[in-house]
Amino acid sequence: MKNLQIFLIATVVGICAAMTASASDIKVIANPTVGASSVSADELKGVFLATKSSLSDGSHVEPVLEKDGPVHEAFVKEYLGKTDAALQTYYRSLVFTGKAAMPKTLAADADVVAYVAKTRGAIGYVSAAASTAGVKTLEVK
Amino acid sequence: MQVKTIMVAVALWIGPSLLHAQFDFHVDSRDVQVHSFASQGFMYSNTNNYLTMNTSHGSAALTDFGVNISTAITDKFRVGAQLYDYNLGLLGNFHPQLDWAYGDYKFKDWLGIRAGKVKTVQGLSHDVQDMEFLHTWALMPQSVYPLDTRGDTIAHIGADMYGDIGIKKVGSFAYTFFGGKRPNDADGGYLYGVDTMSHVPAPQGGFMYITGQTKNVTYYGGPVYGADLHWTTPVKGLLLGASYMIQDITTTGTYVKPIVVPYKLTTVTDKATEFYLEYTLGNLRFAGEYRSEPKIVQLNQPSGVLVQGFQDSRSGYVSLSYRFTKWLELGSYHSRYVDNWPVMHSDPRNHIFDQVFTARFDVNRNIDFKIEGHFIDGAAIDGVLDHGFYAAPNPTGLAPNMHMLVMRIGYHM
Repeated sequence: MKNLQIFLIATVVGICAAMTASASDIKVIANPTVGASSVSADELKGVFLATKSSLSDGSHVEPVLEKDGPVHEAFVKEYLGKTDAALQTYYRSLVFTGKAAMPKTLAADADVVAYVAKTRGAIGYVSAAASTAGVKTLEVK
Repeated sequence: MQVKTIMVAVALWIGPSLLHAQFDFHVDSRDVQVHSFASQGFMYSNTNNYLTMNTSHGSAALTDFGVNISTAITDKFRVGAQLYDYNLGLLGNFHPQLDWAYGDYKFKDWLGIRAGKVKTVQGLSHDVQDMEFLHTWALMPQSVYPLDTRGDTIAHIGADMYGDIGIKKVGSFAYTFFGGKRPNDADGGYLYGVDTMSHVPAPQGGFMYITGQTKNVTYYGGPVYGADLHWTTPVKGLLLGASYMIQDITTTGTYVKPIVVPYKLTTVTDKATEFYLEYTLGNLRFAGEYRSEPKIVQLNQPSGVLVQGFQDSRSGYVSLSYRFTKWLELGSYHSRYVDNWPVMHSDPRNHIFDQVFTARFDVNRNIDFKIEGHFIDGAAIDGVLDHGFYAAPNPTGLAPNMHMLVMRIGYHM
């Protein structure tokens, strides 16, 4: 009986671990028109909170988000310091006062990569394992 | 009136669903976004009628909706506008308003200018106080964000200078300087209150009003300017801020009783200072605001004699909320308004204290429902202005305490 309990707990913990992601599981990508090859964590936060519209090299950037999932949750928590619900509230407060547009939100890694590849200044994030042909990967310092 | 309200509410709920109220389209390769929102509320109180609604019998006369359109003309220049309409008891009356409409040019991240009709940035939520879907609460703390005077204070016609400045290890600062003219909300609570104000306190604890229209006030407005500073501190989740605002308001109209003569109320001095903080830790959010607004006004009595009125109001709240799941958030706030700080605070004629408990249910990403209990102590009827407790909807007087149930359902896209 005790072994069964341990097995169940281990299974639940394992499933939870598999469903979460950390910063090391995330790759920040950008359209090739973005001149920078790296971005600071503060810059990344500013871009995704719509307080910065350009990087330190002067490149104009626009954020692209994933709709949900472990990579999205990890990115929002690690780099923006918010929950998804708080982030959505934040964006809506900007949209309904006219201060910013709702950023593009896409369903999966492949969609984000395809959109970033074809959109000038687009910057997004995908899982580290995702194929990133046609976009550049930015180092987060 | 109830039937009209219900019909409008039903139309509001069906309309956005049919239209799929948020959509993007392209004009000359520019992305144009359209967003909309609507909400419907119900309030029931055990004693007084609140916010000009017939709450003592249960009232659904709490409806608002809006739609906005915006686009980026260039990387640095945005334009947009929002139409807003509301009905709140005897206020609003479904007369549509241009809520905001402006051009926004961002020279650098640390310097931008907005010009047109701009939502006024003050405190944590002044510019978004009316969008229920952004908040845990069905009714925001009325001490700081009075719903009945929303249209008189929420925006200015003028310009903002704003920007964000990040300083390593110190955090980032978001500043806004603003200046312009207050708009005149002809259907708002300020003019309604001045129109109908004529009251006396009852001698033994309760309140009694002498009601009847004493004035016909037609204009409210004047210059307003100020600043706001948000500091996102290096402490994770902690935001501090301060706001300052100077107003020079003129109200004009005509005395109706006892004789018909011109009425004019002007500001001698009106300076509002506000401090606020917000702390978030995961799904936990704590917030607090404190506002001080000493003012001196001058008005002519029907006899022609000029008199001055002094008021030093203080208001604020603390709130705590926790999101348990994607669909459930619980919270509570304690809100305090003291009409005249030098006068005894414990007198219910000089204060409104409100203890609130809320449950918010998010049906999905676009629909929310809230149920909220209010335990209100005081009605602050000695003030220069009414604060939700108006004379005309309470012809038999006001009780010093009130309990109230508020339910609100909202939709946004």
